[in-house]
Amino acid sequence: MAVAKVSERWAAMSLVPKEEVGLLVDGLARHYQVIGPKQKGKAFVLEKLASGQELRLDYQTSILPPRKALIRPRETMFSFHDNQVETVQDAGPQVLFGLHPCDVHALTLLDQVFSLEYEDPYYAARRQQTYVVALNCTTVGENCFCYLMGTGPTLRDGYDLLLTDLGNEYLVEVGSDAGEELLRHLSLRPAPRVRVVEKEKRLDQVRRQFRQQMEVTEMREVLAGSYNHPAWRELAKDCLGCGNCTMVCPTCFCFQVKDQLELDLNHGQRVREWDSCLLWDYSLVALGHNFRPQLETRLKQRLYHKLYYYEDQIGTPGCVGCGRCVTNCPAGIHPLEVVARLKGE
Amino acid sequence: MSGKPKIAVYKLSSCAGCQLEFLNLEPVLLDVVGALDISYFVMAKRDNAPGPYDIGFVEGAVTCGEEIAKLKAARRDCKTLVALGSCACFGGLPSIKNWEPQREVEARVYSELWAIHSTKAYGIDQYVPVDAYLRGCPIDKGELVELIKNCLLGAAPAWRFPAVCTECKIKENVCLLIYENKPCMGPVTAAGCGALCPTYGKPCEGCRGPAHDANAPSLARIFGDLGLNAADVTRYFRKYAGTTPAFQEGAEAL
Repeated sequence: MAVAKVSERWAAMSLVPKEEVGLLVDGLARHYQVIGPKQKGKAFVLEKLASGQELRLDYQTSILPPRKALIRPRETMFSFHDNQVETVQDAGPQVLFGLHPCDVHALTLLDQVFSLEYEDPYYAARRQQTYVVALNCTTVGENCFCYLMGTGPTLRDGYDLLLTDLGNEYLVEVGSDAGEELLRHLSLRPAPRVRVVEKEKRLDQVRRQFRQQMEVTEMREVLAGSYNHPAWRELAKDCLGCGNCTMVCPTCFCFQVKDQLELDLNHGQRVREWDSCLLWDYSLVALGHNFRPQLETRLKQRLYHKLYYYEDQIGTPGCVGCGRCVTNCPAGIHPLEVVARLKGE
Repeated sequence: MSGKPKIAVYKLSSCAGCQLEFLNLEPVLLDVVGALDISYFVMAKRDNAPGPYDIGFVEGAVTCGEEIAKLKAARRDCKTLVALGSCACFGGLPSIKNWEPQREVEARVYSELWAIHSTKAYGIDQYVPVDAYLRGCPIDKGELVELIKNCLLGAAPAWRFPAVCTECKIKENVCLLIYENKPCMGPVTAAGCGALCPTYGKPCEGCRGPAHDANAPSLARIFGDLGLNAADVTRYFRKYAGTTPAFQEGAEAL
């Protein structure tokens, strides 16, 4: 995952005709498990692609974020019986194909979270064998605000290969040695340098489609003075506490751990599952004390963590502006609208 | 507990679907039978032994005086008493009658009203202390097995009841509320079913009762925005667990 400066690698640019992009997936699938966007009803999911024909690079966003390929919604950590423990390790080489810049940013945040104080061996093992084929955004989704968060619509690093839609073909750029390794499995036509101009022109057009509502620094200032703002109580009347926003968030990383025994009370498994600070018993501790029994405090925790605390922990906001929480909130709670309300707009 | 724990399965006013889930445990049924002594289970066996029992499972809502007496006897005979299914937990489907005059409800079904002496339908903890609850219409077999294991261990199950949405999202179901504008009770209903109905394209009906700290009035307002009238919204919240404070709030929100 050593990411080289893209500028050093101009020579490695290639082109893929749009109708052949599925062949890239097929080519990679001979060596890796390829996970990419495919349609599910009216939405899209990132799932193992059985063939390149399933690939839908016109997807706006997926229901669950790519973190599900690195820390699974539910996974067995080890199994045990009598006095023996058997570790479970299911990591294998995988390619995350067609990730948008916001989601790639989210992965780089998670990389830090899962190695900051203690390295998470399950995450690390999968991450080492994970290749990222990113896709610059050439359209703007209804709820996207990556431009504001500085995480899109285009990508500078964090990828192994980067695709950009040029109309009839995709420009393919290499971002790492691993990316070059991926390219070796494919036979692509080299791209003339002039296509980079075309790329920049298209991406500029995309940037202009964003309405800039607020600066990140301003967001932080507003939140710093709003912890006891009465708007929180009003927001908590709408918030369902359902946890949808956290389930679909690409940077949420909380999990719970539990042991599950078989009926013989001898064999069992230790499993971990995604958890959410929106849930009532998330902050419940032994002897029954709950640090955040009111929904209002949990709603605040989520938004403050994403837009404020994360920056103290990692150095950048924990929100990448993917808009999934907005799309999936039945009550229509939008982080930017919350900040605007706190600001008094 | 010395030897295999003795269990009893009782039935009050119910459809017997939750008891049937015991028998539907096929993949592990023999293990369950190996771990437990099924002493009293009228639906499943001919010879039933008298109490006392270690664990009693009570299915059904309490809807008449005789059932109160039966329930109290069960409580006396069982060390651990479990409410089996939503009827026993909070009245379940029979409790939809609770908001109409008793005689009007009876007259819809029966002609000889003098012979009917039913009461409002409630979960069993209206009358006796209950040690554990298995929610759902019907119950979830996985939870039933979990509870049995916990009884064998002598531990309380560490169950959490977030919204069905949490399980639905993990299954990456396309949200019926958001994408289809269908009134789905998932955001306020207790998980544990694996989001069974939404996974098959049917909105959640709330059979497992309220999620922990559910915000039912907010969902009621969302249903209103979808075009449901106040009476419809009330019916949604009263279908299985209208007797619970959380769903009562939802039923009265519009």
